[in-house]
Amino acid sequence: MQVFFLASASFWFDQTVNGLTSGSIYALLALGYTMVYGVLQLINFAHGEVFMLGSFAGYFVMVGFGGDEIAGPMIAVSIFCAIIVAMAASSAAAVAIERIAYRPVRNAPRLTALISAIGVSIFLQFLVLDMTSAKAKFYPAIFPEGSVGVSDYQVSYIQLFLIGASIVMMLFLYVVVQRTSTGRAIRAVAEDKDNAALLGVNVNRTIVIVFILGAAMAAVGGVLWGLFFRGVRGTMGFLPGIKAFTAAVLGGIGSIPGAVAGGYFLGLAETVGREMLTRLPGVEFGNEWRDVIAFSLLVLVLLFRPTGIFGERTYRRA
Amino acid sequence: MVPSLNGRQIYTMERLGGILLFNSQRARWLWLIASLAIVAMLAIACGDDDDDDDTDGGNGDGGSFETVTVGDGAPIKIGISTILAGDLESLGVPIAQAAELAGEGVEIEGHAIEFIRRDDQCTPEGGASAASQLIEEGVVAVVGPICSGGVIAAQDLYEAAGITHVSPSSTAIAATAPDRGTPYGTFFRVTYNDGIQGPAQAEFALNELKVTNAYIVYDTDAYGSGLRDAFGDAFEDGGGTISGKEGYEKKETNFQSIVTNIQGSDAELVYFAGFYAEATPFLQQLRQVDKDILFLSGDGVRDDEFLAGAGADAEGAYLSLPSPVLQGAVYDDFASRFQAATGEAASDSPFTAEAFDAATVIIKALMEVAEADGGELKIDLGALNEAIANTKIDGAVGAISFDEKGDNSGGETPVTLFVVKDGEFVAYE
Repeated sequence: MQVFFLASASFWFDQTVNGLTSGSIYALLALGYTMVYGVLQLINFAHGEVFMLGSFAGYFVMVGFGGDEIAGPMIAVSIFCAIIVAMAASSAAAVAIERIAYRPVRNAPRLTALISAIGVSIFLQFLVLDMTSAKAKFYPAIFPEGSVGVSDYQVSYIQLFLIGASIVMMLFLYVVVQRTSTGRAIRAVAEDKDNAALLGVNVNRTIVIVFILGAAMAAVGGVLWGLFFRGVRGTMGFLPGIKAFTAAVLGGIGSIPGAVAGGYFLGLAETVGREMLTRLPGVEFGNEWRDVIAFSLLVLVLLFRPTGIFGERTYRRA
Repeated sequence: MVPSLNGRQIYTMERLGGILLFNSQRARWLWLIASLAIVAMLAIACGDDDDDDDTDGGNGDGGSFETVTVGDGAPIKIGISTILAGDLESLGVPIAQAAELAGEGVEIEGHAIEFIRRDDQCTPEGGASAASQLIEEGVVAVVGPICSGGVIAAQDLYEAAGITHVSPSSTAIAATAPDRGTPYGTFFRVTYNDGIQGPAQAEFALNELKVTNAYIVYDTDAYGSGLRDAFGDAFEDGGGTISGKEGYEKKETNFQSIVTNIQGSDAELVYFAGFYAEATPFLQQLRQVDKDILFLSGDGVRDDEFLAGAGADAEGAYLSLPSPVLQGAVYDDFASRFQAATGEAASDSPFTAEAFDAATVIIKALMEVAEADGGELKIDLGALNEAIANTKIDGAVGAISFDEKGDNSGGETPVTLFVVKDGEFVAYE
């Protein structure tokens, strides 16, 4: 069907930027999966819903600021407030989830915690679906339009902002984990909970902090998602959640750099990869094949390199 | 733990937990199997929902008509399969309200009409699930399903149960297309067939908008893929070029890749075959990078929710609406009753007149075939089907009668084109 069999270089540039855009959000989300796995060996399946709650919190802030009426410097203020409120809301939700659904079963067989996580995920999805009568809400179109770049190679402001903001958040997380005493506690707990406790680390508090950090990253992702893709709804967290989990596995679950790399890799693979595949003679891979590509990658990585792209896990169970 | 479990089972549970969390040599194999399963499910879910998945095309011969007995004083049950919650609520609820008006105050041999609403979500799964529920409820006929995807999934169930269903709003060509191994004897529709909408849109694009190159973005359900073909074929027959076609699944929000493809093509117009819930984010993302390209879509997008959601980005969008000429005594009477009952104008929502007519068709047929038997009422579903097939009435949408495929061949349906101007739909001149 494709008449432009060989597309121009700027086309591939645009698709790469698209891939990095989705990849940024996957990476922000994957960090939450990988950190919680690092300390608890738990796949936090409710993480996609934490992302969704952040996105909704940001939406309500935007509406509070006047929705489509926001203009001038208020644009920056409203986005900043939306991100802060979303981080607070997501963190509160994540702490509550940890306290109610994970801590009571922490010493039970891990399947119990996994089921608990799936239960929380479904509960939150349907709670929000019910409260919004299952309708999509749309973020106001306030972000300044335009782009920067050279001749045909243009990146729109919003994509630049999205990719930039996610990199800032990831650097912030890196500093927290690597350069602060809280970060040292997190690494200690990930290494060995019991020994960390013996050495005076408050394990429960550290685990809560891990949930807060992960939720904050997801909340930023949620607001960026809303600003860019506009539509938010109760079930919006499911697919990005599963994709981010895939990204975490691709990078090597438990590894922070792995989650970031996995996120970008997945974003590029499903966007640029699909465009390449669909240009092969006799193949027609519609847009809906993105998800097939993403999950096929998961299969291939598990088959040939089960520990992920980054090889060994940096966090190892005792 | 659970007392009845012996030690081995608990051990198995724990080991399974470990496997799921990547802690075992076997992990990769289990993950491989699980992942393959996911991929397989996705492949199925993403597969085309259009014409070709009904090759076993169960039809008339599978069904058998029963005779339903309505107890003394009990109401006659008619099902309504529509969307009652979610993005398309503002499309679906008025349809149910309009259908219910047709039964208001009607008594057949002393039995009232009771409508039973079921939410079909405008999806194939929802259509089939609503069908099972309504059949279980013991309805004698159904108004609906609302969407073509739902119709196609539900047709086999209704056919097997011998339940005649009259859709007010399913327009996909595939719903009555003979190449599906049908026509289904129990399916009828009051509304038009997309066979008239796609060519009218193509003619408009070629002759009025003077474009020769279009890009098609379509919902992969029966409605979207039907329009894709109807528009695409007519556009190419008229001398136009289709520079690309891309499908998406319902609830998609990320259209970046499609938008970039459109930019990379020579298309002057984007033809969108789908519903407003996806058209809104799509158009917003398209307008971020391209202010000039024309946007043309159909009845699935012509909704006030589209104007509200897309805001300024909707300006200049062209939308077609095949609509019978809504006038005459029956329509006026319906419209004033609808206004009185709901406080909204019947014309604010598409397909209300069709829903009223669909219910009327069923009720008129019931009056012909229902036989009083003491205090009870006997309804032969085969005779009911026959009576509906032979319908000849003047409805709110004009004359209604059905051809052998189940399409309404009664009246004319001109296709009207609208353009969004200052946040409103204005008829194109």
